[in-house]
Amino acid sequence: MNWVLFGQQLINGVSLGAIYAVIALGYTMVYGIIELINFAHGDVYTAGSFVALATLVLLGASGHMAAAALAFALAVTFAVTMLVMGATGIVIERFAYRPLRGKQRLAPLLTAIGVSFSIENLLQLWMGPSPVPFPQIVPNPFFSLGPLTVGQMQLVVIGSSLVMMAALQLFVHRTRLGKAMRATAQDWMAAEIMGIDINKTIALTFFVGSVLAGAAGVITGLFYGNIWFINGFRAGLIAFTAAVLGGIGNTTGAALGGFLIGFIEVMTAQYVGFQWATVAVFSVLILVLIFRPTGLLGQQLPERT
Amino acid sequence: MRRAVALASILAVLGLVLLVPGTGGVPAVSAATVVKIGVDLPMSGGEAPNGVPTNNGVLLAIDEANKAGGPYTFQEELKDDAVNGVHDPAQGAKNVQELIADRAVVGIVGNFNSNVGKATIPITNAAGIVQISPSQTNPGLTKPEFGALDVRKAHPDQINYFRVCPTDDLQGPVAADFAYQNLRARKVAILDDQETYGKGIADEFEKQFKKRGGTVLSHDGIPKGTQDFHAILTKIKSENPDLLFFGGVTTTGGGLIRKQMPDVGLKIPYEGGDGIVEDEFLKVAGDAAEGSYGTVASVNAEKLPAAQGFIKAYKAKYNQDPGAYSANAYVAAKIIIDAVRAVGPDRAKVRAWVANLKNYKSIIGTFSFDKNGDTTNKVISVYQVKNHKWEWLTQRSFEL
Repeated sequence: MNWVLFGQQLINGVSLGAIYAVIALGYTMVYGIIELINFAHGDVYTAGSFVALATLVLLGASGHMAAAALAFALAVTFAVTMLVMGATGIVIERFAYRPLRGKQRLAPLLTAIGVSFSIENLLQLWMGPSPVPFPQIVPNPFFSLGPLTVGQMQLVVIGSSLVMMAALQLFVHRTRLGKAMRATAQDWMAAEIMGIDINKTIALTFFVGSVLAGAAGVITGLFYGNIWFINGFRAGLIAFTAAVLGGIGNTTGAALGGFLIGFIEVMTAQYVGFQWATVAVFSVLILVLIFRPTGLLGQQLPERT
Repeated sequence: MRRAVALASILAVLGLVLLVPGTGGVPAVSAATVVKIGVDLPMSGGEAPNGVPTNNGVLLAIDEANKAGGPYTFQEELKDDAVNGVHDPAQGAKNVQELIADRAVVGIVGNFNSNVGKATIPITNAAGIVQISPSQTNPGLTKPEFGALDVRKAHPDQINYFRVCPTDDLQGPVAADFAYQNLRARKVAILDDQETYGKGIADEFEKQFKKRGGTVLSHDGIPKGTQDFHAILTKIKSENPDLLFFGGVTTTGGGLIRKQMPDVGLKIPYEGGDGIVEDEFLKVAGDAAEGSYGTVASVNAEKLPAAQGFIKAYKAKYNQDPGAYSANAYVAAKIIIDAVRAVGPDRAKVRAWVANLKNYKSIIGTFSFDKNGDTTNKVISVYQVKNHKWEWLTQRSFEL
């Protein structure tokens, strides 16, 4: 066993899994609060990449900018993208899901798929059906960690994902709004009786999930240097799987599921065969669901009768 | 009673026909019979760079034929098999059915992509209409040893599908020869996108490279939709190969793999088939594209004296250089035109004429069609990215 290689792949796996984890958070939050699998979420993530690209182009950002100007451009890009995607999340919830809330369970699922297709096609109309190059403005030098090397972009991906996950945990568990979200997830009727504005709280959940997806979109744009209107499909599917694997409705579980899938993918590529990566991910999912139907960390189901 | 009504309505229709000026009755005096050449290519979205220059070649052949005069006026009937910007076998099949239903269509030029051909050839074979492709390189479309009998089940002995380009089973081996002999690679790693074209060319590369005495360290398939290749490239780097061969097209990984190779410090030559020899690859791979090699299953028309007139005419008409398959498409259309001129606009006769084509002089060389419908002109071009452009490097003839 070549442990250096294993360690190197571990780094690859963590950076891949970090992205899945951040997207998975959006799935799991929405499911936790209204028991809806928001299939449009993967496309919100990809739309984030597109909004980021547009913002960077507007700002005239390029790799030749001074460090300070670059940092400013990046900060503005993150802020704009996260706000725009957050707002998009609210709009989607308001017009595609809220009118159907409480009716039946299948209808919102279908509108979610409809919203997903709509976003994909809008993105295609906007920037065309081919992959679009994303400006490579963050240099990607390599750092040595003993025998291992890690790219700057990988560090950015891992670091920013961890920050986002920590911020989400703080928000959900330490703020009044977070408390309202948890209360709504547990029993929205009781929460409403207690004076919590359910509509506002659910909209907020979509906002936060979409903000995270938007940020992930910026990061992957910078990392892979290419964005494509259909990227959200696979990313969404894998992130959804991560959420289920960890225990849907459970934010810690979603993060764990994301990292686990990243790990499975890279280790399959290294030791089994790249073509089996997706197969391996779903095999593990099936095994986990057979023995732990609520996912690894268990589902935090609303306590409803 | 019923018969009387029927008779009356027939008479009424006839009367109408006679009353409407210019229709029926007196045949219109036209100088030439209109003969249509059906074309099915991916024309829209991301496929436009493939389909449009190819179609331009057809249009040029038709233009020239009409200028030369004769008893027939040739027209193009163009269909687009791209759906949402991606070539689609089901759409291709539908297009070909529509072309066959149009009795004025005597033959079809197309399609562009091999998997579309798998869907269309059974239809054209059953209809007995000639189909000539400028660019489909999968051997399974013609060669029985690759399963071609499955696509011409209706009339296995009446070849109706021909192609003027060499096949992947040649592109792969020539790419392997180029890697082994010109680039002196001895150990390679292979990635393919697990699609008909990509896996085909990668498998043939592997076979020939081993035959030359080289070592294939690994051959992996890419899960559909993969964006992050760091893990597989890290693994490939650990195997320390001399070259990475990719079977597939830009959007199934060809571009992103090249782009991410420097991320893991993989500094070895990168080679692929014609699926990456396109501008899209340069855009996706960015600066990393520099130095990549790609084979194209066609002769470089620019280097052939016979094609100089075509190139000049193309540039004059379209104000740009011909695409990789423009000359092939021109030849494909011209064969159908010549067939019509020789035997008339009859589908069966045109097919038989093309099937017996021997030593046909064309702008891409003199060739015949073999018993499977393949060209005997087996020249493969090798391109390299230089200064953000694919440039023709050399061409190699395939020899067993």
